Amino acid sequence: MTGNGKSRWADDEEDAALEAQLRKEKEEKKRLKAEKARKLGAEKQAAAAAAAASAAAQREQQAHYDGDEGANNGPPSKRRRLSPEHETAGAGASSSAPAGGSSDRNTSSSSAPKLLRFDGGAFGKSRSVEEYDKLNDIEEGAYGWVARAQEHATGKVVALKRLKIDPKDRSGLPVTGLREIQILKDCDHRNVLKLQEVVVGQDTSKIESIFLVLDFIEHDLKSILEDMPEPFLASEVKTLLLQLSAGVNYLHDNWILHRDLKTSNLLLNNRGQLKIADFGMARYVGDPPPKKLTQLVVTLWYRAPELLLGASRYDSAIDMWSVGCIFGELLTREPLLQGKNEVDELTKIFELCGIPTDETWPSFRRLPNARSLRLPTTNSAGARIATGSLVRAKFPLLRSAGVALLNGLLALDPDRRLTAKEMLEHEYFRQDPKPKQEVLFPTFPSKAGQERRRRRQTPNAPVRGQAVADLGAVDLSGIFSGREREERGGGFSLRMV
Amino acid sequence: MSHMSNPLATPRQLYQRRSFSSLPSELQDAIFFATQCLTQAAGVLLKLPQSATAQANVLLARYWLVEPFMSHEFSDISAASIYLVAKVGPSPRSPRHVSNVYAYLLSTSSSFFRSPSLPPPSNNPSSYYLSDSAYQSFHNRILAAEARILYALSFNTHVSLPHPLAVTYLQTLDFLYVRKEKISKRALAYLNTSLLSPQMLYLTSQPNALAVAAIYNAAKDIGAKMPECEWWEVFDVDREELGFLVVAMRSLEGSARKMREDVPAMTEGMITRKTIEDEMKRRGLYAGNGYDMDSKALDPEAEMARQMDEKMAAMEAAR
Repeated sequence: MTGNGKSRWADDEEDAALEAQLRKEKEEKKRLKAEKARKLGAEKQAAAAAAAASAAAQREQQAHYDGDEGANNGPPSKRRRLSPEHETAGAGASSSAPAGGSSDRNTSSSSAPKLLRFDGGAFGKSRSVEEYDKLNDIEEGAYGWVARAQEHATGKVVALKRLKIDPKDRSGLPVTGLREIQILKDCDHRNVLKLQEVVVGQDTSKIESIFLVLDFIEHDLKSILEDMPEPFLASEVKTLLLQLSAGVNYLHDNWILHRDLKTSNLLLNNRGQLKIADFGMARYVGDPPPKKLTQLVVTLWYRAPELLLGASRYDSAIDMWSVGCIFGELLTREPLLQGKNEVDELTKIFELCGIPTDETWPSFRRLPNARSLRLPTTNSAGARIATGSLVRAKFPLLRSAGVALLNGLLALDPDRRLTAKEMLEHEYFRQDPKPKQEVLFPTFPSKAGQERRRRRQTPNAPVRGQAVADLGAVDLSGIFSGREREERGGGFSLRMV
Repeated sequence: MSHMSNPLATPRQLYQRRSFSSLPSELQDAIFFATQCLTQAAGVLLKLPQSATAQANVLLARYWLVEPFMSHEFSDISAASIYLVAKVGPSPRSPRHVSNVYAYLLSTSSSFFRSPSLPPPSNNPSSYYLSDSAYQSFHNRILAAEARILYALSFNTHVSLPHPLAVTYLQTLDFLYVRKEKISKRALAYLNTSLLSPQMLYLTSQPNALAVAAIYNAAKDIGAKMPECEWWEVFDVDREELGFLVVAMRSLEGSARKMREDVPAMTEGMITRKTIEDEMKRRGLYAGNGYDMDSKALDPEAEMARQMDEKMAAMEAAR
């Protein structure tokens, strides 16, 4: 095997021609053989009854199959007779001929049925960052450095994101960075930021600087929201949410949890297209989800209650909670739940969505941090309101389908939270006003394109290795004490039952 | 579809590896085979699931199509690939753990790659004791090699394995009178063996083809009756490719035996760069840069000419 291995992979034209000829000859031989077998079968039916009959049946079946497939129907006589013995012989022949290799299996004979071909691409060395010219820095934050750059060869403008590498880290390249690269490489969706390639610094003898080459997108939603004089129109919110849920649905369909959805990680280009970015926290999960996942995920303001309560087993519902928070933020231009710490965040969640009860979240009490929580008892004064959601009161301009969607996304019980697929089909998107066409989206001055400088205010995603916050014994029983008064005091707000 | 496909080697990569390497092809094969075996052995001792070890095997094979064999010590590249796969996957292993396992496998106490005819080596803990400085230097080497592997593969660590496909395919096929456990075990054994094959089957065929070929071989071995139609086409494999893979999978045993005859050093533990250099010297092929060659060696020019003749003859024969 090793001897002729040398030439099997050879792929010059001469070889190809030779292979083609060999194949032609082989096919001709096969055809003759098959024909002979058929004649033989017809003449000596008694003697070769079993074999010939099965072969004929085979041929018929095959022809039928071909017809069904709509593939090129070769004449039945071209079909070869099959038996395991024949197969091994054929296999031997094909391995001694170079044609059996990998180089040209796509150019198979014309009578071959239509087979699905998997194209996984090829592999090879990374290119150098020297292929790009830096135009300007975009930001330098917790995740590292991002710059706008232009490719020499094509003039294409891209974003270069430098992977943060700690040379003192004795576990080598950061696993989050590697996961981000792998996940982005596997993704291909219009609402997910595209990773074009990974390039390395000039000195390749020691890989110290690694850059992700990403599509350059002009804005992030966070800075647009901060600078807009007026909030988005209802139709614009729908377009953005629809794109967000399409992207998240794609990720969840492909077993990816993003785990850090927030407005600063959602990019928007000047054609109104939204892209989910920053997969530094993302990972693949299976079904059922892995038993032990880190709780240190998702930026605090977008973190789902089950994470805050210490669940180590969670699923795609945590992303949907973040989507709910983003929905609220798109409506008001303000982050929905701005907790100062884990306890405060939880308080704010319960203030908005109500205190969980056995009906609204049956498994709530079994979560690690829930045991130490003291919640207002149900027979106290504010109980009736406290267990219901205040979403409708907080968003008086939202119509009932919108409220239903937001409530569905902010359901405390992760099992009852809407999935991305359910969200895509939600009534909200079918009601008037209809989602605005992307191309009709307003444009904004781009900070990343250096039309303005960018600053950042949201807290960052938790860092791996941080201690998980132990909520300790927390007394939340007082959180609704002033509520009755507030509700009545608001001039235009409606009192909800 | 990325869960069902792999990036494959281009014909150019395969051709260059074979034709432009300074190493004769049988030595290339020996290095490949031994290092893949080492990776598997380390995977067992690290208690990694075979899915992780197999991915390390595939990454290692890809790496060597991009970078030359002799640029790093073979065991370092093996350790780095297994460390990398474990790290990004669900079952990470610490560098300390990895280094201990490799220190043991490469020591004189392990029976790895020792001739089975010899008595098993006595266990001598000092032979695999790692001093602090030895550990530090090993650690540095695997981190450097890890980065190198990632660079060579442009950071694409995606590997989809044929094993789960083979099980799924078997569930759809009905092999009369044969217990499914028996045939699936055999099929998985073929798939695992193919990881070691210097023909780099995982780099030239997609997982569905590997799965079908393994099932075919397993059914033949066990004597299970296969469907009488071209059932492999249901799984998008054509006859030609299946035939090639069936033979290739079956040939490894013989070629491994031959390898041991060609490279006697393979029975004395894991081969290293030093082993290969010595072997090259023995054959008079070693291109030491002004380095004094063995006096016994043949005239390098004559040897070179002979080698070229052989190569030509081999190419002719292959046609």
